[in-house]
Amino acid sequence: MADSDDASPAAGFDAELLLKQARAYLAFGAQIRQVADRFQDSLQQETDWNSAVRQQFEQFKDAITQSSNDPGVNPELAQLSTVMVDAWQQAALALQLPIAAPTDRNSVAWRAYQQTQHQYFDLLQQAAGQALDLMEQRLRERAIAGETISNLRELYNLWVACNEETYGQMLRSAEYSALSGRLLNALLICYPRRETTT
Amino acid sequence: MINLGPDQITAELRTFADRLAQGAKTLGDLGEIETGVSPRDPVYQEDKLTLYRYQPRVTELHPIPLLIVYALVNRPYMMDLQEDRSLIRGLLDAGVDVYLIDWGYADAADRQLSLADYVHRYIGHCVDHLRESRQLAAINLLGVCQGGALSLCFAALYPEKIRNLVTMVTPVDFHTPDNLLTHLIRHIDIDLLVDTLGNVPGQVLNFAFLSLSPFRLAGQKYVDVVDILDDARALKNFLRMEKWIFDSPDQAGEAFRQFAKDFFQQNKLVKGEVMIGGQAVDLRKVVMPVLNVYASQDHLVPPAASKALAGCCGSRDYSELCFRGGHIGIYVSARAQQEVPPAIATWLLARQETSKKGRKTAKRRVRNP
Repeated sequence: MADSDDASPAAGFDAELLLKQARAYLAFGAQIRQVADRFQDSLQQETDWNSAVRQQFEQFKDAITQSSNDPGVNPELAQLSTVMVDAWQQAALALQLPIAAPTDRNSVAWRAYQQTQHQYFDLLQQAAGQALDLMEQRLRERAIAGETISNLRELYNLWVACNEETYGQMLRSAEYSALSGRLLNALLICYPRRETTT
Repeated sequence: MINLGPDQITAELRTFADRLAQGAKTLGDLGEIETGVSPRDPVYQEDKLTLYRYQPRVTELHPIPLLIVYALVNRPYMMDLQEDRSLIRGLLDAGVDVYLIDWGYADAADRQLSLADYVHRYIGHCVDHLRESRQLAAINLLGVCQGGALSLCFAALYPEKIRNLVTMVTPVDFHTPDNLLTHLIRHIDIDLLVDTLGNVPGQVLNFAFLSLSPFRLAGQKYVDVVDILDDARALKNFLRMEKWIFDSPDQAGEAFRQFAKDFFQQNKLVKGEVMIGGQAVDLRKVVMPVLNVYASQDHLVPPAASKALAGCCGSRDYSELCFRGGHIGIYVSARAQQEVPPAIATWLLARQETSKKGRKTAKRRVRNP
């Protein structure tokens, strides 16, 4: 895919590397989500907040270490992330940050909401991945037409346009309509009802 | 493919940062962001509602006043945003005597307000106030978006009180395939929503609107604003619009419940099944002249949703005006100022003269009245 004339590192910008990093970023996001899910499990088993937070951050750092083994991920960046997670952990423990949950975190309703939220994020992530595929396709089309992207804003605008397109397709799907409805309903069930239907 | 070097990226980011820094000064000097520019006077008040009359800008006024019924979901100053972007000012300049209902901000005390309250009581009382104060049997009504749907309900229930009806970007058929809002609301348990939240927070609706195009509306728009940070006038225009977008009143719970279920989910308006305070809304009873104004690129109320009115209202004098633009552009774009208010005023004036002559008009479909 790399164009030897204007997309090689020598020319300053490698489009293939850019897209690869963007995909790695999405994959990293997915790993963080898995860790967050496991955090909910540990909260169920652990009544001590500090201990639960400590466990959570240890899992987080493990996930980062694993992801740094991926050849697509910059190891220095992964190391930097580990340092940041350390800082977050210290801050969270110092501040005793509570997780704002609308109701009992162990309740069936809350678990059902999280499950639906998981499906919702999967769909969003799918659309984001498709946007990168589309961006790659658009970049190829431009290359064939002899057009180049010559500033960051143009690159950003292309990213926005591709995301809007794939997000819009997702938004218009019957699956999204049903899932977003279920997500809101599942969240609402977690809250106490003020009154019954009139 | 991508012709960007480190030096160029650094330079671009530096320019961006410089503009941001300069922008902080422009922002600091802007002062208050004012909206709603045309002078007006309150003439009637009930609960949180205020009926305003706009001060005329010409000496010879149309004898039949025009009452504007705006949507409940946003603030009506969009109709009078600034001097050069004001549909109301355009109507005033064309000699229309303009009144507007400001619904105010619903709070916990309004939780039980129903559509019956909004249609029979609030719109009804404003219409009656004008009829009595002006000693007229009927007045002109202009409904905007959701306010258009409410105006249609009122006109169907009290046809004798409305001389001419103008609907702007008004949904009638909520189940056209391109209706994104219906698509999003279709699977929501509205009873659960209202029973849980009471009034529906304006920011919930705002989030729904922004979620239709999140990368543009929540990201790109704010990156682009950096380009105008050195232009106080352009920045003020931008912030005025931002103020309007995020100035979202909460929705009275019961009214929201019925509107969401009956209009969006079950599409009862077009089927003639909506009940307002125990009375059926039959659009065939909308027999007065109707001007239906819609926007060809409306992403919230698709043209097909508005144009469905042609097939279900009872008017023998039905016209359409298609504005080439979007749901917001129809109020604030430069072209809208030139096209929309004069077209509405001309259409109203023609019906006033028609009425004087007592002439019956044949049912017709007109693109640009």
